[in-house]
Amino acid sequence: MQQEGLPVGHRLVLLWRTLRAWRRIRFTLAGALFCTGGFIVGFAAITTGNNLLYLLLGAMLGFITLSGWLSERNLRSWTIRRITPRATTSGRPIRISYDARNGKPRQPSFAVCVYEVGFSGHAFIPRADPQESVTALSENECLPRGVYPLTAVTLSTTFPFGLFTKERDLALEGELIIWPRADLPVTLPSTSGGLSRPRADTATVGAPGSRGEFRDLREYRVGDDPRDIHWKSTARTGTPVVRQYEQDAAEALWICLDLTTIPGDVAENTVEIAASMATRAYQEGRPLGLAAGDGLIRPATGLGHLEDVLDALARVDFDPAGPPTHPPARSSSCVYTS
Amino acid sequence: MSLALLHRRLTVLMGLAALGAFAGGAGFAPLSTSIAFLALMVALFWHPDAALSARLEQVWLPLALLLVARSFVHIFVIGDDVVVPVVDLLFLLMCAEALRSLEAPNDARLYALTFALLLAATAYRPGLLFAISFVIYVVLATVALMVGQLRRETERHGTQNLLLSRRFLLQVSALSSVCLVMSAAVFVTFPRVDQNWAGRGNVLSSSIVGFSDRVSLGDFGSTILPNPQVVLRVEFPDGRPAAAERMYWRGRSYDNFDGVAWSRSARLPPSLPGNDWYARWRPNRLRQRIYASPLDARVLFATHPVLSIEMDGDRIHPIFDETGDYSYMGTGTLSYNAVSVDGIPTPEVLRAARSGYTPARSFFTQLPRLSQRTRDLALRLTAGLDNNYDKALAIQRFFHEEFDYTLDLPRSSREAALEYFLFDRRAGHCEYFSTGMAILLRSLDINAREVNGFLGGEWNDFGDYLSVTQNDAHSWVEVWFPGLGWVPFDPTPATRGITAEAQPWYWPGKFWFDGLQHRWNKWILDYGIASQSELLQRAADFFQGSGASAEGGATRDGPPRQAVILSLLTALLAGLVWAKGDRTKFTPEAKMYLQLRTSAANAGIPAGPAVTPMGLIRHLEACGHLSARPAEQVVKYYLRARFGAQGLPAEAHREMALALRSARGFLRAPPPR
Repeated sequence: MQQEGLPVGHRLVLLWRTLRAWRRIRFTLAGALFCTGGFIVGFAAITTGNNLLYLLLGAMLGFITLSGWLSERNLRSWTIRRITPRATTSGRPIRISYDARNGKPRQPSFAVCVYEVGFSGHAFIPRADPQESVTALSENECLPRGVYPLTAVTLSTTFPFGLFTKERDLALEGELIIWPRADLPVTLPSTSGGLSRPRADTATVGAPGSRGEFRDLREYRVGDDPRDIHWKSTARTGTPVVRQYEQDAAEALWICLDLTTIPGDVAENTVEIAASMATRAYQEGRPLGLAAGDGLIRPATGLGHLEDVLDALARVDFDPAGPPTHPPARSSSCVYTS
Repeated sequence: MSLALLHRRLTVLMGLAALGAFAGGAGFAPLSTSIAFLALMVALFWHPDAALSARLEQVWLPLALLLVARSFVHIFVIGDDVVVPVVDLLFLLMCAEALRSLEAPNDARLYALTFALLLAATAYRPGLLFAISFVIYVVLATVALMVGQLRRETERHGTQNLLLSRRFLLQVSALSSVCLVMSAAVFVTFPRVDQNWAGRGNVLSSSIVGFSDRVSLGDFGSTILPNPQVVLRVEFPDGRPAAAERMYWRGRSYDNFDGVAWSRSARLPPSLPGNDWYARWRPNRLRQRIYASPLDARVLFATHPVLSIEMDGDRIHPIFDETGDYSYMGTGTLSYNAVSVDGIPTPEVLRAARSGYTPARSFFTQLPRLSQRTRDLALRLTAGLDNNYDKALAIQRFFHEEFDYTLDLPRSSREAALEYFLFDRRAGHCEYFSTGMAILLRSLDINAREVNGFLGGEWNDFGDYLSVTQNDAHSWVEVWFPGLGWVPFDPTPATRGITAEAQPWYWPGKFWFDGLQHRWNKWILDYGIASQSELLQRAADFFQGSGASAEGGATRDGPPRQAVILSLLTALLAGLVWAKGDRTKFTPEAKMYLQLRTSAANAGIPAGPAVTPMGLIRHLEACGHLSARPAEQVVKYYLRARFGAQGLPAEAHREMALALRSARGFLRAPPPR
């Protein structure tokens, strides 16, 4: 309806864009050679009048037609579910798996690749029978730290003859979080520095096993102590729920990340140092808090908490004109990275 | 069978099909083709490992270089047909690639080589074998390309080997019909320019028996063997003539006989009749549409006397010489239209033709050195006769009644002489009879000449044309009649036709095959603008339902157009229903249960073949799905029908259908948020 009143040419352009988004076709090397060969055979047929060359030309065009038809059928009626990891550390390959279902009632599909736009890896489905669900895994090259929104997966195939690559996009929202590297050798400051009482708003929560004062319930995350699972609530809600406890913040470590650094390698290095310190704190069982610009994560322990910190570090943006980071505690318990 | 092995076998079979296509043409060389065939057969069942394959490479390379050098010699030194050595090189490369280890990534090269061989085959105007091989090639190529692609993709992604069922391969091969239909469509509809492909090497080799550009009596010491090679295919646009199988297809005439062989004098003056002499013979005309195979002699055949010859296209030019013979120059398809007078003048007219213009008398009454008894024989046979027609008839009758026909050649040169034939042997083949009659007539000072061509042929009902073979080669005599021209006489006894009786047992099949071959030549090899127009005209006639043919408006017998169209549509509809429909026999209860399962699967509930009916219900209940209750009812009826001793009553069927509808309704509804 929105196209009413548009000139015909413009409508055609819009239609072409729609079609192009719908299916994309590219020559493979073999396809380019095949089509060139077909052109030569056709030219020879016309110039020599050798009728049998018309037969060969027709057969070649038939192969091209069949290729287009079968590849179209091959990419139809797919339902894709993407399974991304919770997050991946920068520098490591990104593995994404797909649950793919061939919804065609009778026709199997062959040699279908699934990949994310802008990613290098392809998940290959050699064969999926009618109504069959298969799982395929793609391994992608590592990416820099950050949060990558995923909007669509692309189905691609060179089936049946390898003459063309046909692609089709399927809208599929998602997100991929790439944490900064967290394996740099760092040393945490000592905790025996005559720390005073923590500030009222900086009590730590959730140290597994240490059992402070009960404060709250939250959803279970990988790494939480199973002893903290609150079984009644879990049974009632159907999803695992764990208890959170308030703890003494005397040993809490604050990582304060300066976001006013000029974006670049140095800035990224500070993020990696911060991530490595957070990981180290987790390994030592020390409560950890993060302050970055306006953002603040209260000190806590546990793998789930570490993931929250790393998530936050994955999302930080450096801006020299942005707000400075203020240490939320005394400087003896803060590590300022800039 | 692994994909690699399957693919290799398919490509080798493609090579064999291309080889068959090439063997169907005039470029066929028995030795090299047989070697290539054997090598490909070996490649079909034996595959060397990588080490042996590498050693074999050391053999192929020098051989290939040798053939390349041979090609250069052919091109630059001998100046011979370049295709032959190039095809030999193709054979070698194809066999070398086929005999490599399975791991070798050479599928593209094999495709290219087999296709190149197919291309080379088209250069020789191949026969029907090409058509069969082409169809097989396309079917094999469809499967091979698909299997090859799957092989490459699985190897590239390091996936485990795919297993393809035989049924799947058959389905894929059926898809090749798309290519074949497309091929036919492009072939028929692609606009043609007015030229046709002459083809290479398309000349029949010297025949054992058959037409030759010489007539000689000197051969002796063996028997003439039959040669069923078809040389002429003749259609009659005005319908089959009554005496189609007794027609004389005139070729060349000769004036000079040296006692052994006939030849044409170098300075032969014009020997043509007056402008409209032939046209006055009879009022009827015989139109012929002739498809000829090129022979060593460049002669155009037609029934005598020819009034006009018109070639298809302009690549071949007919030459009408001063003796009345038609030859041609140029290369291309030998298809032409000829118009002749139907029949010879009546005996009264011939008897009355006593005086008038007689051409080159000394040439057509020339005689070699003969004994007196030959002249005496001629005089004795024609004693008391006062006109040339009766004299010619008397001599003709003499041969018919007192001589025998045989294909056995004389035993010695002495027996090969004409006079030995006339007075002692009294048996021979057509050249002896025609020579004998011509000499006897000349000894009476009557103008006569030797003519050769073909006599008769067999009517092929499978294409409505006359098929003339080399076995029908014949020679006869033409006698000059003033005011009329050259009139044919045939002194050969009616027992002629021994070669036809000695046809091999497969002749009926070959006859049918020749009908196909004729269609192939007419509608494929020689398809051009005229054929395109004719086809369009026929199609237009067919769909207009006029029932009138393109020629002359005669009504054709055949099924009513509407009935044919209706049948085609019905067949198409039936095919679609069959393709869409359930091909497995299920009971109504089973069908309903399968529908439930499909709906559940579409709703994302595990309902594959491994899930039992009750398992499906448990899944639905576990999800708290609203369809669980009606689905349970469907399953209950299904199990009752399947395992119960009796079928379900009609009432139960209705309830089951209602429950199914309800369950599917819930399954289709979007999940509650």
